[in-house]
Parts: sequence; structure tokens; C-alpha cells
Amino acid sequence: MNDKDNYQEYRQDLEIFLSEVDELLANTEENLVELEKAPSDAALIQEVFRAMHTIKGGAATLGLQDGVEVTHLMESILDEVRSQGRELTAEMVDVLFAVLDYLREWRNALGGDKERPSPEKILAKIREFAGNESSVAHSVSQQGTSSAVPRDGSRTVDLDGDGKRIYLLTVRFKSDAPLLSVRAFQVLTLVGEVSEVLSSAPSLDDIENDRVSDVLRIYLTAEDDGKEAARTARGVQDVAEVSLERYDQRVSRDNPAASGSVAGGAGNEAGFSRDESASQGYTVKKTTLGKTVRVDVALLDFLMDMVGELVIDRTRLTQIATRLQRSGETSAVGNEIRALAAHLQRTSAELQEGIMRARLLPLKNIFTKFPRMIRDLAQRCGKQVEFEMAGEDTELDRTVLEVIDDPLIHILRNAIDHGIETPDERVARGKPPKGRIRLLAWHEENQVLVRVEDDGAGIDPEKIKKAAVKKGLLTEEEVRKLSEKEAIELIFMPGFSTTEKATEVSGRGVGMDVVRTNLERINGHVEVRSQVGLGTEVTLRLPLTLAIMRALLVKCEDLTYAIPTSSVEEVLAIKDGDIRTIQGKPAMSVRGRIFPLISLAGALRDDKWKRGSSERYALLTRTNDEPLALGVDDLLGEEEVVVKEMGRLLSRLKGIAGATILAQGDPAVILDVQRLI
Amino acid sequence: MPAREATPGRETVIEKEKQIVAFSLGSETYGVDIAQVREIIPIQKIVPVPRAPDFVEGIINLRGRVIPVLDLRHHFGFEKKKQDPDQRIVLTEVDGESIGVIVDSVSSVLRIPEASIEPPASVITGDDIEYIQGIAKVGSNLIVLLDLTKIISDAEKRTLKEVDLASAVVR
Repeated sequence: MNDKDNYQEYRQDLEIFLSEVDELLANTEENLVELEKAPSDAALIQEVFRAMHTIKGGAATLGLQDGVEVTHLMESILDEVRSQGRELTAEMVDVLFAVLDYLREWRNALGGDKERPSPEKILAKIREFAGNESSVAHSVSQQGTSSAVPRDGSRTVDLDGDGKRIYLLTVRFKSDAPLLSVRAFQVLTLVGEVSEVLSSAPSLDDIENDRVSDVLRIYLTAEDDGKEAARTARGVQDVAEVSLERYDQRVSRDNPAASGSVAGGAGNEAGFSRDESASQGYTVKKTTLGKTVRVDVALLDFLMDMVGELVIDRTRLTQIATRLQRSGETSAVGNEIRALAAHLQRTSAELQEGIMRARLLPLKNIFTKFPRMIRDLAQRCGKQVEFEMAGEDTELDRTVLEVIDDPLIHILRNAIDHGIETPDERVARGKPPKGRIRLLAWHEENQVLVRVEDDGAGIDPEKIKKAAVKKGLLTEEEVRKLSEKEAIELIFMPGFSTTEKATEVSGRGVGMDVVRTNLERINGHVEVRSQVGLGTEVTLRLPLTLAIMRALLVKCEDLTYAIPTSSVEEVLAIKDGDIRTIQGKPAMSVRGRIFPLISLAGALRDDKWKRGSSERYALLTRTNDEPLALGVDDLLGEEEVVVKEMGRLLSRLKGIAGATILAQGDPAVILDVQRLI
Repeated sequence: MPAREATPGRETVIEKEKQIVAFSLGSETYGVDIAQVREIIPIQKIVPVPRAPDFVEGIINLRGRVIPVLDLRHHFGFEKKKQDPDQRIVLTEVDGESIGVIVDSVSSVLRIPEASIEPPASVITGDDIEYIQGIAKVGSNLIVLLDLTKIISDAEKRTLKEVDLASAVVR
């Protein structure tokens, strides 16, 4: 593809490709872990093969030769296993995993516009295994031969003796579908797997060279009259309509001329007298549009901000109504506005809840990587682990998902590193050599529970106590008074870790204390239960939804404040020349609009015109509905913060909306800019 | 605060006792009925809250909850002190809400016979101060017994007044 000139378009295509690659790699990872357990599972091999194939197609379209080569070789190996009965050895699975890791690195480099990793090493590794020269010998330019699709569209239709019927499968893509050639490639190869493709227009070569339109015609024969082919095509993304019809009655062995014309492929089919309405084919409208749509997170955030605005307006409306009600003449108007405000409140509350629900994502999003992780860790620790997951469809707010990702990794690592014993130890204790780790998730009342359980050694309260004394966290005396349960709780103390030396697996500086802090930030909770010799159970209790606000974190006199993003129009760097004075007061002129410049430090000290000395940024905002430039020392970025109450004592402060807990665990005040001054 | 019954199992004790947490503020020793103390935690990062009343030192993160912390030194008119590691935050609960109080150091939990507690003399404490429950003599030391709940509700009442006034001026 030569359209790198058109960088914007290239980037756009790339983004779509990358998100697809993410999905494919995640699936492949899962499949590989399964495949390791059942190396002869043809369906799994097929899935992995297909994923590689799709990535190859996309990479080819975007001109990413390295990606094409790697996926192609991987395909070759899989093809040997799939169609030539080569045995899938554990070493081969390892290579497949290595390929996966390479692709992931490759994908991240692409996404970050960085230099891509060299494929040489991984290619050499694959070649070692692709012993059967025949398939490796395929040069990349001959890619695609593994599927039963003629490349040039001009293969002679060779009707076999019993005169199989030819069907025309017309696939119409959505006119705005991006990466049309990738989709066409996908349809063609998938259809090739369930039927015999005689020719197509555009041809496979055309497709690979990006000569595509939104209609793809495939001429095929199949045992089931092409029904499976139509079904398969319909399942491909961005396919708008699929129709299947008997191509032409005349195409039979009695009419070899017709078959020759079919072979003519693209453009030539007009030569056939083909009455569509009279044809015996049937048309299948694509009805499975699905009940879900993909929404950009940014859009959701925007909607949430807007709801926030509504809530603020509602509050102000109520205030106005109160003022009106007080004065006699306008009290009727006041009543009316008040009723309106009440209605607005109900609507905005429901809207808010709806949006919060739209933010829910299934746990699958973070669970998928765990099987592979467990496999690798277990291997490295010389342990045998059977890993089970359940409840991965349980949904949680995406912020909650983000926050529990690292803690779960940590807990699972602990389970392998400290929990599960080595096979010898286990046998000695009368347990099966293979340990078991389960990751479960389910709803319980208004919470979601996520639990990691293992059947390992358990946590020994005595060891914990000793470690706590040794680390100087508690005295002998204090430790002696602790119950078993309290002793186990000690693992949540900052600076606690029982391993003597930090291993590669755990001990990376994050401890259970970080797990606890992370969870508490989102109003969650973590509990540990353990029995020596029997195992450990770590349970996370998580809220279904949260009072979340997008906020800009700013620094002012060494303190961090959160300012709702919805109330900031723009952020500017303050340059000395930008500041003027109007009647002696500082102001900034931005594109012809005047914004009085007030320092946040001054405003908070109710000395609003006092300029701070180190202000580098101005937030354009509004206070009491007047434009305002608010000077702050530094910007620390935008974040989703969980709004927390500060208690009655601090609940009614002007310009203070509440507090939140920042990533590193410190509290921070959330400002209400509208009422700041 | 009404005299608390001794803990069950201690009925055999003839003399009625009060368990108090003793702490120091400046050179003085104060005590709080142990029933009012939820938890005592080491001093930690306290983030000031703009526009909060003077006696509120700021907020802390207590296991994911944001909790206001008061400075008792300020409350009693002692001069402010720089944070030092001996300081502790005594957590109490008022109407279901946790509130912390900074003290200089916590010395011990004491059992004081109720008989040794004398009512506060109004000369020292002033008439309107309800939060002093009494003064206990322990050896040669005097311990001023405080009612944390009253201190806080006192403070709260004052705050609400201040805030109302402030918003009245603004609007």
C-alpha cells in the first residue's frame, strides 16, 4: 500500500487494524494455553491459524512486511499440524508463544509509532521448527496459498463429473467500512475454508493489492449449496449484506464455455444472461446487527461531563426558584421553576445512571491475559498449576477494572510463588502434584466479588508474626496478642513481605498494602482467608458503580487539587506578555475575549487579586457565570477520580465539592470553580 | 458522660473504674474515655482543606475514607507545632462519622478509680466549657478528662454558623 503519503488515513486504518490485532492476540493467547493442554485439538489450531491469517492480511494491506513474514511462517507451521498431521510438541507451543510475544511488541511499536522490533530472531526460531522445507520454502510473495482460494481469479472452472452446481455469493460491505481490503480478504479466506472457491471478483491478488470495491463476488461450489459459506460471510465485521444464488443453470458439464467465462472473473459476469429475480437463489439480509454498539470512551466521558453540567444547572435553577418564591409577585413563577427543577433532577439522575451503566465492561477484558501469565509463571517457578476461571462475563465500571488489574496480577503471582508448592512438596503432603488456582467472579447484592483461591501451602500466622517482628513493624509483645486472623491481616501492612529475597515472580515492590490502597480508592475492599496446608483465598469486594468525575489535577502551593474537567474550557501556558491589567487588575486576552486572571492560591485564601509567584498555567473557566482565568502552578494531568464525602464538618465549604484519593494514596480536595470566588 | 459500668467479668472489683486513653498536649496530660476512642493511628500526611474552620487541620486517607482531622492544640489555644513522629491521631466517632484528633503523644491506657475524679472547677475551665468532664489525680499528675464528642459537636456548631454567615455574605 502506497498511501503512506496520506498519513492521516494511514494512521486511521492502522488504529482499526491494531484494535483488531489486540483482540486476535488475546484470543490466540487463550487458545495457545488451551492448546498446550490439548495439542491435538483441531478446532483450536484452526482458530490460531485463522487469527494469524487475518493479521497477515491486515499487515499486507498496510505494507508491514515484517508482520506478514512472521505470521506467514507461523501459519506454515500450523498448516503442517493442521493438514499434514505433524505433531504439535511442547517446544512448538513455546515457539508459538514467542511469536505471540513478538507480535505484541510489534503491535505496540506500531501503536506508539516507534521502531518495530526486528523479526530476524523470531523468524530464525520459527524456521528451526518448520522443519518441513516445503512449507517454509513458500516465499512471502506466495502467501495465502494455504487456503483454498485461487489467487488470480482466473482459475479455470473445472467442473467435476457429477456437475456440481456453482453458486454466486455476493457480499456487500458497508460503504463506509474502513480496511475494505482486509475484510474482503477475510471473507474470501473464510469462505474458502467451507467451500470450494472457483473464482472471485475482485480476485485475491486484486484484494491484496488494495484494488477493492464494496462488493465482493465469490463463485463457489459446496456440498451444502453454499449455505455455510453465506453464513460465514455474514459473520465478518462490516458486512452489510450477503446474498447467495445459483449462478447459472447452464453451467454444467454440458456447457464448458460457460465455465470458461466464469473464469474470466471480474467484470466479465455481465456477459451472462442472468435474471436475478428469476434466479432460484435466495437473498439473506444481514439481520444480526447485534444489540450492542461500540462507543468511544471519550464520547462516554463527554456524556458524563454533560450530565455533570445538568446537575449543576439544576442546582442553580433551584436557587433561582427559591429567590423568586420569596418575593410575592413572582412566587408563581418560582413554583413553576421549582417543579421544573425537580423534573430535571429526576431526568439527570436517570441519565447519569444510564451512562454509568454504559461504562460497564466484562471482567473478561482483564481476565484473558491471566491463563498465559499463570502458565509462564508456573513454568518459571517449577510448579504445576491448573488454572480455572469463572464469571468473566461479570461487568464492572471500567475504572474499577483498571484499578483491580494490577492487584489481581499481584495476588495471582503470590498464589503461584508463595501459595502453590513444588510438585515434590505437594506429593509429600499427600496432595496431587498439580496445584489448583481458581479465579472467580460473581454478583452479590450491590457488589461484585472477585476471588482468587489456591490449594497451596496457606499463610502461616506464626511466620507472619515473626516476619513482622523482624522487620520492626511490631514488637514481640504486640504480636503475641494477635489472633490468627489479625496476624494474617499483617500482610497488608506497608513494607511487609515474607520472602527473604525478592524473587523474579513476586517482590517487585508492590505489596498487599498497595493492593489494599488501590481498592480503597474505589470504595472496594480486600479480605484474606487462609488455612495452613490447605490454601488461601483472597476476595475483592467491588462496587458496581461509582461516583466518578473526570478531573484535571493541578498543583498550587505544593498541594494537589482536582478540578472537574467539565468546568475547564481551555488550558493555557502563561507567558509574561499575555498578562495585562484592567483598572489595575490582571487579565488575559484570549482570542479577543477578556478573562480576569485570578490566582488559585489567592482565591483559596480569599485574597483573589494576590498573584502567586510561580503560576505557569491558566485554566479558562467560569465562576458565578463570569469568564475567569484561574492561575495554577502546574498541571498534573487528567484523571478519573472517585468523589468522596468529607463529613458534615467540611461539607458546606464554598467552592469545595468534596475530596478524592489520588493514585499514590494522598487525599486531594475537589474544587467547585463556579462557586470558588 | 455517664460513668460506665466496668467490663463484664470485672464485677468483683469493688471500686468502680474508668478506662481512659491518656495523651499529652504540650506539658499537660489529658484523658479520653476509652469508649470514645475508635482507633489510634500514627501521624500521617494531612492535606489542608481551603476555607475549612481554623481548628480543622485537614483531611487524611483512612483506608479509603476521607476523614477530617482536628488540631486539639489549636482548640486549647496552644501554639501550633510542627509535625513530629510521636504525634498520634485519635479517631472517634460522632453521629456515625469518623473524626480524627491530633495529640502530641499517647502515653498509655489507664484505669482510674471513679472516686479520684473531681468535677471541673469553673475557675479554670470557664462556665461554658462542657467538654471537660473532670480532673483525675493519678499520683502527682493531674489528668484533664475530655469528652471528644462534645468538643466536636461544639466545633461543628460554630462552623455551621460561620459557613452560613459566609454564604449569606456571598449570595
